[in-house]
Amino acid sequence: MQLAWRPEDEAFRAELVAFLDEHVPAEANAGFDYADAGERDERDLIPAWSRAWQATLFDNGWMIPAYPPELGGRNCTPVQTLIYLEEMARRRVPRSLHFPGYAIVAPSLLEFGSEQQRELVPPAIRGDTIWCIGMSEPNAGSDLAGLTTRADVHDDEFVVNGQKVWTSYAMAAQKCFCYVRTDPEAPKHKGISLLIIDMDTPGIDIRPLRHISGAANFAEVFFGDVVVPRENLVGTLNDGWRITQGSLAHERAGLWVEGVSRLETTIRGLVALARRRGLVDDPIVRRRLAELYERAASLRALGYKGFSSFAQGSSAPEHSFMKMATSELGKECWEYGMELQGAYGAVADPERGEEDGRWIMGFFMSFANTIAGGSSEIQRNIIAQRVLGLPRAR
Amino acid sequence: MDFTLSPDQELLRDTARQLLERECPTTLLRAHIGDPAAADPLWRHLRDFAALGDGPLTDGCVFLEESGYVAAPGPFFPTVALFAPLLAAAGHELLAPALAGEITGTVAVAGADGVWTANDDPVKTFVPEADRVDWVAIVSTGPTVALVQSPETRPVATVDFSRRVFEVDAGSGSAGAHSIDPEAFESVLERATIALAAEMVGTARRLFDMTLAYAKERVQFDVPIGSFQALQHKLADMALDLERATSAVAYAAMTVDAKDADRRRAAHVAKAAAGAAATRGAKDGIQIHGGIGYTWEHDLHLFIRHAYGSEAWMGTSAWHHDRLADLLL
Repeated sequence: MQLAWRPEDEAFRAELVAFLDEHVPAEANAGFDYADAGERDERDLIPAWSRAWQATLFDNGWMIPAYPPELGGRNCTPVQTLIYLEEMARRRVPRSLHFPGYAIVAPSLLEFGSEQQRELVPPAIRGDTIWCIGMSEPNAGSDLAGLTTRADVHDDEFVVNGQKVWTSYAMAAQKCFCYVRTDPEAPKHKGISLLIIDMDTPGIDIRPLRHISGAANFAEVFFGDVVVPRENLVGTLNDGWRITQGSLAHERAGLWVEGVSRLETTIRGLVALARRRGLVDDPIVRRRLAELYERAASLRALGYKGFSSFAQGSSAPEHSFMKMATSELGKECWEYGMELQGAYGAVADPERGEEDGRWIMGFFMSFANTIAGGSSEIQRNIIAQRVLGLPRAR
Repeated sequence: MDFTLSPDQELLRDTARQLLERECPTTLLRAHIGDPAAADPLWRHLRDFAALGDGPLTDGCVFLEESGYVAAPGPFFPTVALFAPLLAAAGHELLAPALAGEITGTVAVAGADGVWTANDDPVKTFVPEADRVDWVAIVSTGPTVALVQSPETRPVATVDFSRRVFEVDAGSGSAGAHSIDPEAFESVLERATIALAAEMVGTARRLFDMTLAYAKERVQFDVPIGSFQALQHKLADMALDLERATSAVAYAAMTVDAKDADRRRAAHVAKAAAGAAATRGAKDGIQIHGGIGYTWEHDLHLFIRHAYGSEAWMGTSAWHHDRLADLLL
């Protein structure tokens, strides 16, 4: 057990810091500490500066550092990946404002795609192609495998009919990584296939969904007799479910850093807020702020502990806790920010509320973290059954 | 940054685990309720590890997590986690025999309010094992340390059978007091706080392990009760508090060993996180056990008692939150 990083890893950090000091665009330092910059709307979903920034990261080997240079990386070690994620999170610099391409499509295609499909990977990581993921449906949320969007096989093509929902960036995307049912007779996990669908194909109708904060970065996507060429099938017919597990495996062990850093930023914000409002001598406020700090600090330690096991090649059950714990604690912090403002807690008028409505907006946006990507309740089921070894719930 | 145990630490943990499982069964804890001498044979084994009192705190915490798992009674914790570090800070000649396991000792700091800061109160409170150890180190303002033998003590009954605590008359032997550097004394308290948190994490893990095993074996409505989602979610939340406390303690011990600037905050975080894990393990543990967990006959209460005794001792979670707030605000 030791606190210090090895010298070669500190050298890696120094190189990254020098790069960031020189290249980070001013707009990237907006300092959003709530989920996915909620103020952007569909007209400016992926602004020009972020496209240029993602390309710069790719060209300099800082987009996915564990990948080889031709995929926007520099073949770094797992520990260095953690340092990268930690430093980016500490500065609150987003790599990209659209995660599906680099984080889900690229690793999935590298593992399961045909040679031709793998050519789509570099532009997906560089952000030249914007992707969306067609997964959730009105009746397939937590129970994703219950999806019913259908693809009928006709000679050399599929014909797709159905509806997806909560499809992030659908309005901006050129391509969709779309999960469809190709065998309605098979058990539900066995009849799913994965298709690449061009978003300008006739029959696709995109309707932006405004979320609770008022902005829209996701949409409903309707498919009506959408024709997809046979070669756009990823992997094997009816074997698409196992590709749903695909994401950046080597980064999964470090993704918690972002959640914890965001929490710490939020708690620093709460301290500043309490100061401005003359509440730092209130013993109840003091104790509550310290308790939030304690929980965030212990989660950072838990993240490092899990990562240490992972880096040594052991399984790291610690990570199963991080998503649930950081998102739930985040929600509490945002709500407390509203509480500290008393009667002004619900004021949305940026002239009168604190920090342009940061606290109420952050609170609203924080629900995304406890719902998307597996709700907190699903996370608890996973912990109980996969980590604690309890029998399947009835 | 590496939280994994070194091969030596793994060996230490395994040795501690085997020794304590063998030498500190719950039958010993029950015998100890009416007869403190029942823990004497245990000390004769644990004295071999007294040198942990002045080694890396990460090593000490590895061992104390295991002694907390069995709620080990007796002079080991006061000697290793309080007495030896205080002697080391004071540069006292009794340090060598203490680390060799030749003598036992305890430390008296808290006054009437039970708070562990140096004071001149005539009666010291919550002093563990004060009636049976060889030496009692009495801390007064300055801070100064006076080492006394056989002071006047009065037992204070608490729910915790594994930690017997006493009032000690501070005036019973103030001659020959050593002064101690205030910073060094703060470091002793930091170290002791983290050591206690490590012990509490062990107790919390015991409560969790017993409860998880029970949820898997107890059948109602023809299925193990652990298959019910209400209990699964409760157990997931218990596990989270346990895991984050375990990690907070490891981190705090690492900051002490590295003399890192974050160590004071980390000590408060560790004790408060351990308090959350231990009391949740106790409350939810008894709830999941149902009626049997509420009985004298079942062993669960031995650990529930130690969890709450430890939560209240050397600063409650709330007290540590308040001290943390002093550092943050």
